[in-house]
Amino acid sequence: MNDPDDLHELTGLYALGALRGEEHARFEAHLEVCERCRAEVRSFSPVVESLSRAGAVVEPPLALRARVVPGGGNRAVVRDLRPSPTLAWLAAAASVVLTIGVGWYAAQLHARIDDLEARLAAANFRAGAAERQTADARQAADRAQDMLGVLSAPDMARVDLKGQGAAAAAAGRAFWSRSRGLVFTATNLPALPAGKVYQLWVVTPTAPVSAGLLHPDDQGRVTTVAQTDPAISPVAMAVTLEPEGGVPSPTGDKYLIGMVAP
Amino acid sequence: MRTEDRDADARAIHKVAAGDQAAMAELYDRHGRLVYSLALRILDDQADAEDIVQEVFSQAWSQAGRHDVARGSVGAWLLMMTRSRAIDRLRSRRGQVDPVPFAEGAALQLADLSPSQEAMASTAEQVARVRDALSRLPLLQRLSVELAFYEGLSHSEIAERLEQPLGTVKTRIRLALMKLREALGEGKMA
Ligand SMILES: [Zn+2]
Repeated sequence: MNDPDDLHELTGLYALGALRGEEHARFEAHLEVCERCRAEVRSFSPVVESLSRAGAVVEPPLALRARVVPGGGNRAVVRDLRPSPTLAWLAAAASVVLTIGVGWYAAQLHARIDDLEARLAAANFRAGAAERQTADARQAADRAQDMLGVLSAPDMARVDLKGQGAAAAAAGRAFWSRSRGLVFTATNLPALPAGKVYQLWVVTPTAPVSAGLLHPDDQGRVTTVAQTDPAISPVAMAVTLEPEGGVPSPTGDKYLIGMVAP
Repeated sequence: MRTEDRDADARAIHKVAAGDQAAMAELYDRHGRLVYSLALRILDDQADAEDIVQEVFSQAWSQAGRHDVARGSVGAWLLMMTRSRAIDRLRSRRGQVDPVPFAEGAALQLADLSPSQEAMASTAEQVARVRDALSRLPLLQRLSVELAFYEGLSHSEIAERLEQPLGTVKTRIRLALMKLREALGEGKMA
């Protein structure tokens, strides 16, 4: 870490506030003497600022204004109430659609979007194609958000899955959080025979519970996000080969298995 | 953000420093939505996000006189305070107590580290470009940036979470910011 070339590379972490302690102090000392890094950190500031503005825009509750503005109700409060609720909703809807590709949603936003979509549908604002696009985008956004949620969960546990039999070269990894669900990734899964699908199982002390179907890409890779019942305590995770459409409890060969550390 | 808004912000922050409540209301109406949205994005809790908005504007109210508009826009200043406070709350919720040292704060002590106001003002189009560029980053780069920015994780915490060597995280984050910077630059030329 004393190599100055290493220090020059810390600009991004520094700009995002991700350096701590000694590493942070060492880099700040380096900044004092390195014009190149100062320029780079400076050039990242607008990016960091844009990230602050890049999320979905959510309208704060009206009551918040009175808490924030000293004196609460003054003339400006009256002046700035949104004139037409319908128009304000549509404007908010437009901003939601614009930001939908970003990939994150607060729980509050889900309810808000459902509400907005009902309103928009009623207003005949959507054509068929646009609707599908929005649904796809939202699904992708939700998935990314769920994935990030699991990966950053304080109670996250990792489970490594080993390839079995015909899939000896395959490997899988599950990230499980009791509170936030499951992210599962696998590599080198054999190509699916016709009429078959891989199924992921969370094995509890009483029975395996399905965590969804897996369709690997042509290189045998797959990543999925699944909600799991917070009440269950997995002892293992497994992937089996099952008839297309999946089954309520496993019947086929096991392709991947991993034990959950107690 | 439009130039008129920035000029209006500069005037408003001076009035706020003199105790003008209507100017405070004006700032809230212009920036409250973004401040709330960022706090909600980080904390994923409406009540916590509302608390943060209140804290940020209360801090703006008491420190308006110290804000140097030549150093950066009022909006950027409010958002920087928002992120800092929201992440501190998130980390204390998780039992991580070390405060996050923000480069933006440190920038004030290092003579020429903070960009000019011109450079800081991102337009809606530039923000859209950055958002789009973020969504097109390789997953590892994107997760690294998001874990640092929205979850307040440190270099070593990100490396541990993504099971990557420290050096890889360092390089990926720098690469990601360079790509986002490039996207922002395209927006500036347009
Ligand atoms: Zn350097």
